[in-house]
Amino acid sequence: MASINTPAVVMDNGTGMTKLGFAGNDAPSWVIPTAIATRATGTSGKSTVSSKPSFLSTSGATGAGNSITGTSSPSPSLSSIKRDMADLDFYIGDEALEAAKGPGYSLHYPVRHGQIDNWDQMERFWETSIFKYLKCEPEDHYFLLTEPPLNPPENRENTAEIMFESFNCAGLYIAVQAVLALAASWTSSKVVDRTLTGTVVDSGDGVTHVIPVAEGYVIASAIKNIPLAGRDITSFIQTMLRERGEPNSSLKTAEEIKQKFCYVCPDIVKEFAKYDNNPEMFAKYMVDTVSDRKITVDVGYEGFLAPEIFFNPEIASSDFLTPLPQIVDTVIQASPIDVRKNLYKNIVLSGGSTMFKDFGRRLQRDLKTIVNERVALSESLSGAKSSGVQVQVISHKRQKNAVWFGGSLLAQTSEFKSYCHTKQDYEEYGPNIVRNFSLFNVPS
Amino acid sequence: MLLLQPENLLIEKTFTKALAVGYVPMTLDRIVTDFDFTAYHISTPQEKTGILLSVAIKCWNDLVAHGTTELLDTIYSKYSAFLQILSEDNAEPGYNYSLYIQLDKANLATEEEKFTLIKDLSLLKRNSFAAPFLEAFKKYTELAEEQPADPNNIYGEDSATRSDGKVIALNYRDRESIFIKPSNDRVTVIFSTIFSDETDRVFSKIFLQEFSDARKRSIQKAPQVINSHHEIPLEIQSLEKENNDNKSYITFVLFPRHLSTEEVQWNTITQIGTFRSYFHYHIKIVKCYLHQRMRFRVQSFTKVLNRARREVSEEEHKAERKTASGRRFEQRN
Repeated sequence: MASINTPAVVMDNGTGMTKLGFAGNDAPSWVIPTAIATRATGTSGKSTVSSKPSFLSTSGATGAGNSITGTSSPSPSLSSIKRDMADLDFYIGDEALEAAKGPGYSLHYPVRHGQIDNWDQMERFWETSIFKYLKCEPEDHYFLLTEPPLNPPENRENTAEIMFESFNCAGLYIAVQAVLALAASWTSSKVVDRTLTGTVVDSGDGVTHVIPVAEGYVIASAIKNIPLAGRDITSFIQTMLRERGEPNSSLKTAEEIKQKFCYVCPDIVKEFAKYDNNPEMFAKYMVDTVSDRKITVDVGYEGFLAPEIFFNPEIASSDFLTPLPQIVDTVIQASPIDVRKNLYKNIVLSGGSTMFKDFGRRLQRDLKTIVNERVALSESLSGAKSSGVQVQVISHKRQKNAVWFGGSLLAQTSEFKSYCHTKQDYEEYGPNIVRNFSLFNVPS
Repeated sequence: MLLLQPENLLIEKTFTKALAVGYVPMTLDRIVTDFDFTAYHISTPQEKTGILLSVAIKCWNDLVAHGTTELLDTIYSKYSAFLQILSEDNAEPGYNYSLYIQLDKANLATEEEKFTLIKDLSLLKRNSFAAPFLEAFKKYTELAEEQPADPNNIYGEDSATRSDGKVIALNYRDRESIFIKPSNDRVTVIFSTIFSDETDRVFSKIFLQEFSDARKRSIQKAPQVINSHHEIPLEIQSLEKENNDNKSYITFVLFPRHLSTEEVQWNTITQIGTFRSYFHYHIKIVKCYLHQRMRFRVQSFTKVLNRARREVSEEEHKAERKTASGRRFEQRN
């Protein structure tokens, strides 16, 4: 086939952001909001149908039907032409956010909690991402899509149906995000053997997952979610700014302070003392307002307090109180006993909210304390000497788009295409073919 | 989005960023694709302020034979102060044509100038494909001067006094080609296209019928479109001997109206150049739309079925209770 030399397309549709790009690149070409703006009222295809007296009437029931019958009538009325165009009248990504500000469009997010919620919108979202943003003919390219852990197989089938039947894409591989995040960590110098066994700590904007993976398979029963993530850190900073009465405490300011000033400290008490002893630790942040006036916002304790909510959640939330290292430990303890050692040895960070300086180091230290305590306890109880448990948290440069990058890394290997299901396979076996994908052989 | 944009958005984005005020130079190494097996490579091979933009086109050899290199050279040489053209053997290995842009030397005063530069860069594919068309248009002018077209023949019927130029063939995809044939009163462009999917072929028939009918109905300015699904058009029978692959042929007849000024000519090239992608894009959109309707229909049927379900009263429910093996619970009094 012709698609042998074309680069594979890697698409990671997250709840908030979609990462689009080609295999072999080191960063996604497009990072756009997973949003679609469609005509809000009256003119949208759906509402015209629902207003029809009976959906069983066959005449002109579909848009395509209209355009066929429309040719026979001498002059189709203007309204029917308009209605036929309704399916093309939408925007995705940043343009969607822009369009939704004006009248006539309403904004939708087709992905909810990592899973595709509205297939109509998602189909159109993909179509525009492929043809407008990536500019490629899907028939010529292989595709690598991602899915969250615990995605029902029906969703995979639906995805395959769209990719093969609407787009005729040459080949498709659907990978689990956590596995890709593990693959992305191979770029780190700390990783010696490229295994697909490890614990993934994935913290994005909405939710934080801790996912144990053994030899490329997700241990579904042990997955834990933490309802604290990037959004909570931002709002925590915002509250602190408001309480101090800073001149500007908008969400955008809080977001930028989070990205520029926040870091993880080894000990809060000492850090507080450090700030109080040398006042120059307090930073200043300039905000540009619309009216060209510069406002200065002081940045104080929130620099180290905000990321602290992962380790001491009680400072920000009242209903969730388990620290992240504790959760990671619980997750690994819930996994089969023979992989636990390897899970401790390879803890991989992924997602924007794990980007704080020294985040990995702190997690490693706290986790080590928990593990050592347990080892000591079991030694004293049994009297036998333990061989020790190695705890290692791996942070690397590509944490932010780790899932996409892992996809790009795997999709550029020469054997990638042999793992894909092709259009021919799909036609031979039907959609349930995508329920299983053979895992990548880990290069030694 | 009704029409596909001819410019490449990613190249546009990269250079808009690179030429903006306050750009921090960084290392770039990106592969970007475009339709019809066109690949770009944006990289910074030596220093961070020098961006190399290379393009690889499948039918480059066909294009070069019709003067693409010269055309691109004239387009991009106006930026020669900071843009170096690397063609033929000098181009990046694996690519056909390279442009090396030195950002630190680029002193574009106005936003307007920046905009045209970015536009020209992002239209690299369109510009590469333009040369054969321009050559055909030129040939048409020559032929038209030699033997002016019959002014009474407004419907473009074949006349005895027609003289034809040589057919230019571009094998732009694996088994699909564009043929351009200049004549004294028209330029004919023929696409051969293959559908990998049988459903697509059916959609394409309806779609192409619309193209032909549009002209009859109201839009007289549109070029004439003829489609044939199996037969090879007369114009290219000397080049295409057999139609083994079940190809469809789509013929566009460009009349003098579409070739009158330079601006119109470029517009024609842009529209014709994206035709195949546009065509396939719309077939896919129609399928998306149909799927949407199908899902809606299934939903409504499910609703009807659910409504038809008989209400089971509490009493009945109790009586119906069975064990896994199908035995009933007996009520003991």
